[in-house]
Amino acid sequence: MGIALKKISKSYNGQAVLKNLNLEINRGEFHVLLGPSGGGKTTILSVIAGLIRQDNGDVLIGKRNVSNLSPEKRKIGFVFQDYALFPHLTVFDNVAYGLRVKNVEESEINQKVEYYLSKVSIEKEKGKFSRQLSGGQKQRVALIRALITEPEILLLDEPMSNLDALTKETTGNELKTIQQEMGMTTVYVTHNQDEAILLGDRVSVLNHGEIEQIEAPDELFYHPKTEFVARFVGAKNILKVRIIEINQYGAVAQVNNSGLGQPVQIRVNKYPIFEKGKEINLCIHPEKISLKRENKASDVNLNRIRGKLINKTNNGNGLKATIDTNGMELHATIPKDLFDFKIHEDVWVCFAPDAPHPLCGKKCRAPEAGRRCLVTTQVDRLLGC
Amino acid sequence: MKKLSFDTAISFITGIFVCLIVLPMFALFTATSFGELINQFGSPLVLSAIAISLETSLIVVLLALCLGIPVAYLLAMKDFKGKEILDTLVDLPICMPPLVAGLALLILLGGNNKFGSMLSNCGIDLIFSKKGIIIAQLFVSMPFLIKSARGAFESINKNVTNASLTLGASKFYTFKKVLLPLAKNGIYAGMVMTWARALGEFGATSMVAGCIPLKTETMPVAIYQNAMSGELTSSIAIALLLLVFSFTSLLIFKSRVRGQTG
Repeated sequence: MGIALKKISKSYNGQAVLKNLNLEINRGEFHVLLGPSGGGKTTILSVIAGLIRQDNGDVLIGKRNVSNLSPEKRKIGFVFQDYALFPHLTVFDNVAYGLRVKNVEESEINQKVEYYLSKVSIEKEKGKFSRQLSGGQKQRVALIRALITEPEILLLDEPMSNLDALTKETTGNELKTIQQEMGMTTVYVTHNQDEAILLGDRVSVLNHGEIEQIEAPDELFYHPKTEFVARFVGAKNILKVRIIEINQYGAVAQVNNSGLGQPVQIRVNKYPIFEKGKEINLCIHPEKISLKRENKASDVNLNRIRGKLINKTNNGNGLKATIDTNGMELHATIPKDLFDFKIHEDVWVCFAPDAPHPLCGKKCRAPEAGRRCLVTTQVDRLLGC
Repeated sequence: MKKLSFDTAISFITGIFVCLIVLPMFALFTATSFGELINQFGSPLVLSAIAISLETSLIVVLLALCLGIPVAYLLAMKDFKGKEILDTLVDLPICMPPLVAGLALLILLGGNNKFGSMLSNCGIDLIFSKKGIIIAQLFVSMPFLIKSARGAFESINKNVTNASLTLGASKFYTFKKVLLPLAKNGIYAGMVMTWARALGEFGATSMVAGCIPLKTETMPVAIYQNAMSGELTSSIAIALLLLVFSFTSLLIFKSRVRGQTG
């Protein structure tokens, strides 16, 4: 069953949490709602589940308008952020709860519960209470408790936010596998972009109760439509430019960021929305920036901006570098083995003309020139470069 | 030095408090001999007072459960217009002097009142009867159960309730299978407090039911009556028994509260 939210509005104490929100989720889709705290993600889940009644608008599950149905009649499964296991019941009884509600035969309940417990490898814990389980085990119990009733829709509210990195990866893979096996329409709320990339067929980015962008993960990360989405997915380099020249090879833009001592000209690929004299925001992913010590003639295709390395922080496989380019800060993510710069050292910030892409406020078409990849991270691998 | 003086002052004040509680108990326990106490427990008047008190207070606990839990659920789980007023009404009997409560009930249930005469016409006589005792005790003691059960319901994670609903359970099924089991310690604690309050109720009870020996004389009323008529040993025997009941209920209450928070 697909889900359609039509013109949903919700306010608390006069403060709008959801603003005339429209969202269509396809049947069998794994849809991720991504956004910062307070963006309205959990409210959307609660509205779909019927735990919160919207002020305006309709909720459709398949062809059923469920707007006025109570939660128990909506045929949904819900995994809560804190798992919400019944503390007075054992793991077995927690998982069996939904079946007992439906008066399923006890023999069938035993069979089904055992099957689901084995599916997530927690058969040995079936006699334990939730307080005796680890975070990962609780998460699995909550998941199969929701799945065992075979709901039409599965809703997950940041279910991996309390897990360690290793458990998160394993659980994420399990979740995706189970979802694909069952083909269940799934809505997953998170503020973590890595989870969104790993799990989502499509991702909606929410900001203050409005959807800023709905896209497949790779499109979202490669083509953020707005400054908010760009910043949220980690593309912190936003260049405020004016297009000063368009030619057959590309365009020339003048960077005019506030604080920049002197305007800088860069070459960028040509996009259909470019017009001479037009002011626009360009975004550069930190992974697409490289640092060089010398301004070599062999790098003639690259844009180069002189700057000073002012900060570096460890980021797993890479290092995050902050470079001050005469008043404008740029951020680069550099593989550790390629990074041999010292703080306060003068460097050249280099990026190809295809690295900047416009934040046009609406879906942009692909650049006319071919893509060039400087791929180092998981994000870029998933971008399909 | 300053710290020592402060600590000494605190200890001294605490000592005064302990004396205030312990000395009257000590006086009560040493006022008569053990043999005389045993003799008193054989007296029909004393036995009757004990039986009436136990019977009425236990009925009050059952009635408070039936009436109090829905009110506690409503206050804990729902937002509605007039919630503040209902909340204040629940607190009112705790703050109201029992004699005032008794007087109000006497006027309402008495024959001079339309409601009272209507009940009387239906053959329900509440004044100067055990039923009157029960109503008076219920009036003053039920808030304890409501407040305790409400606290227990409020302490349950809202998502646990929501989880039950999303698993297809109705509100009643959720109440029965999730909320009641999780709130049981708070409800037990409320029952104990309600029972202790009902057992010790004097003012409202004596106003509504009077002090008729062998009929409406509860333990607190018997203590007062006997003390006023010079039967001090009899008063002491009943008082000591009430003290034992209170102490036991307090121990049960504390263990339940520990169970709930631990």
